[in-house]
Amino acid sequence: MSLNVKPVVSALRHNRAGAMLVALEIAIALAVMVNAAWIVAQRVHAIETPTGIDYHNMFAIGIAGVTGDFNPSAAEQADLAYVRSLPGVVSASVASGVPLAAHGQGDFFWKSPEQRGAMINPRTMQMDENGLKTLGAHIVAGRDFTAADIVPYSNDYSRLAHEALITQSLARKLFPGGDALGKALYTGSDNLVTIIGITNDFMGSVVRADPSYDTLVFPQTPGTDGFYYILVRTRPGKTQALMQAVVDHIAPSSLDRVITFAHPFDYFKQRLDAENRNVVIFLTTITALVLAVACLGIFGLTTFNVSARTKQIGTMRAIGARRRDVVAHFMIENAIVLIAGVLVGCTLALGAAYWLTAQYQLPRLDLVYLAVGVIGVAIVGQLAAWQPARRAASVPPSVATRTV
Amino acid sequence: MRIGYYLRLALKSLARTPGLTALMMCAIGFGIAACIVMLTIYHAMSGNPIWWKNNVLYAVTMDTWAPRAPFDSDRPALPPPQLTYRDASYLFQSAIPQRKVMMYPIKGVLSGAPGQRHPAPVLTRATTADFFAMFDVSFEYGGAWDAAADRGPDPVVVISHEENERLFGGADSVGHSILWNGHPFRIVGVMGGWWPKPRFYDVINGAFDKPEDVYVPFGWGPALQQLPVGMVACWGDTSHDTYAGFLGGECSWIQMWVELPNAASRDRMLALMNAYAVSQRKSGRFRRPLDNRLTRVSQWLAEQGVVTNDSRLLLRLAFAFLAVSLINTAGILLAKFLRAAPTAGVRRALGATRVQIFLQYLIEVAALSLAGSGLGLALGALGLRAMHWLYAINTVDNSGYQELTHFDPAGLAWALALAFLSTFAAGLYPAWRIGRLPPATYLKSQ
Repeated sequence: MSLNVKPVVSALRHNRAGAMLVALEIAIALAVMVNAAWIVAQRVHAIETPTGIDYHNMFAIGIAGVTGDFNPSAAEQADLAYVRSLPGVVSASVASGVPLAAHGQGDFFWKSPEQRGAMINPRTMQMDENGLKTLGAHIVAGRDFTAADIVPYSNDYSRLAHEALITQSLARKLFPGGDALGKALYTGSDNLVTIIGITNDFMGSVVRADPSYDTLVFPQTPGTDGFYYILVRTRPGKTQALMQAVVDHIAPSSLDRVITFAHPFDYFKQRLDAENRNVVIFLTTITALVLAVACLGIFGLTTFNVSARTKQIGTMRAIGARRRDVVAHFMIENAIVLIAGVLVGCTLALGAAYWLTAQYQLPRLDLVYLAVGVIGVAIVGQLAAWQPARRAASVPPSVATRTV
Repeated sequence: MRIGYYLRLALKSLARTPGLTALMMCAIGFGIAACIVMLTIYHAMSGNPIWWKNNVLYAVTMDTWAPRAPFDSDRPALPPPQLTYRDASYLFQSAIPQRKVMMYPIKGVLSGAPGQRHPAPVLTRATTADFFAMFDVSFEYGGAWDAAADRGPDPVVVISHEENERLFGGADSVGHSILWNGHPFRIVGVMGGWWPKPRFYDVINGAFDKPEDVYVPFGWGPALQQLPVGMVACWGDTSHDTYAGFLGGECSWIQMWVELPNAASRDRMLALMNAYAVSQRKSGRFRRPLDNRLTRVSQWLAEQGVVTNDSRLLLRLAFAFLAVSLINTAGILLAKFLRAAPTAGVRRALGATRVQIFLQYLIEVAALSLAGSGLGLALGALGLRAMHWLYAINTVDNSGYQELTHFDPAGLAWALALAFLSTFAAGLYPAWRIGRLPPATYLKSQ
């Protein structure tokens, strides 16, 4: 089979505008698909980042005191006693925030007093001695809190405990040498906080939908301004039932406090991921549609070209072309348009990727995505023209001799 | 002008290649649907719900932050969005603004309403009286409290329409007493339905959240020594043994808006703010470069990043998809029209002018545009339902994104215009090409 390109080129030259439009369509489609796939990859990565806590088996209940003279300590003790009495509860704790949720605090810490030296802004949380066990986190270095470490609650934001646990991520940021244990941090009021333990990386409460592993935990019972949260870890499968049991017990029995919410941690994780998930769904849909439109366009146009050029095909066959030469003719024509489209498309894709990196702080496009995109478009684009090309081959040579 | 004749020709031509016509319609339809979905959401997010007062409402901000670093390292040019208690109280005394409001969200628990079995948490806003007049909040029953009640603070409360439905079944509850945080409060007003999107008066604590259900005079936080529950940003020596220390420190937690009817009053207000800042420097405050601002709502919404980056990105992508669909359509139409050249040749020979040929094919393009646009609108409505369902799981900061997925009349008009005009534009070139063809070539048999 001889690759006779000249008749193909001349056919293309006759319908320059049409071919250019198809090439342009392919180019934009490639740019859209490659960058959309890249963004989807980032979002999926964000969704699958491990939280570091056993969120499938946990729930959180928010409590708020009704009157100004509400005593959180007594209420916390009563609530925890009840929760721990329920079978199926692995661990329960009171906290000043809820990991993965928009309930919590952050604070500024310095490595030297008088706010000199490096500053860091982690999420902070007050928990009791069962906190880590409830979260499903663990100590990596140093020690966990004991009941003796726990400082009673205070309505003063600055009356914090003087010891803390920090996550590995925070430790590495503050002390890259790896010697965070025993070191001191200073709050904005020059209160000293000693790091007594380092935990595995877990996500704290979330601000602006941007989860982070930088968490600092204080051994202190929560209750500032009458708020606290009950975090409970259960055995698998029992979360919903136990949460309902606790809510049913607390709600009617207390006139001095109310339940502001009760949710399993799956709920918070879902909401944390919602924006990313919606973007993934939208982008995937658009990518699939773009590819479909481009392919159907090639299919439709090739079919149309075939039906418009039956006389030329008949003539080709009459002077000796075999069926597969006819197929090759249309496939090569399609291939040339595809190549042109892909070349322009690569430029567009790289340009768009550069712009996305600048505008949206996206990491630089991994060129593997571009390569896969090019190969994919090439294969699918050729496949789209295959069927019409084959139908072209069945045009009989006698068509050449007709005048109509 | 034989519009009817051209229309018949156009419909016959479209029906002659049903597959291609269907392909073009679907491609256009999906492209337009994607754009409609993203445009509706983007339009809702970036809308200014109080646009008629955009020239008189101003957000008051002052840069009282720590000298070492800006308030927001991601947006270093912006001052803190909220004021400290000291600064807000001082500025509030000024008689320059026509109206003024300072406010913050506060914890609230309601009890004692008839038929209420348990105390219930409520979203509460502590605010001064002008809030309602400034932001054009309508009242179903009663009205706001007055400035004297602010000074008290009097135990008066305004509740939302929804809260009134919940507690009193929608009846006129003005004059009734309920317990707020354990203290008796008298209802003086019930609001009408109100949900501005975005919640322009407080984009810091949930730009798309539902407005609060209970409003109490500003002074109740200090009176009950209750901390605000919204964003509280502190720096410096935050050691305070007392609530008074918290009020006097460098914690910013109050949002302040003023209504200034003209440029002169705006300049006077800014001059007052600057003079105050300079005088405060003597006691060691305001150590950052002077940056006191009065920001209009439209600019405030833009500065505070109410429209997320994601919406912008998806909108641009939707347009790219529409572009692909339109190019697709143009290519197919071009091939189709050129193939009909012999017919056009015959008609030219019979006396049709170039313009008439052009018009006839333009009508075919218009018919296709209408069909594609119609399909696109239907698909777009479906797409919005799908987005509504997707956003039913709210995002992490309790935002009411769901509420954005409603097709508003303005959006519909824009979508129709976009759909029709873009498809029409795509078909202009093919129609023009066939109008230009010399008929003689095509009269000969092939």
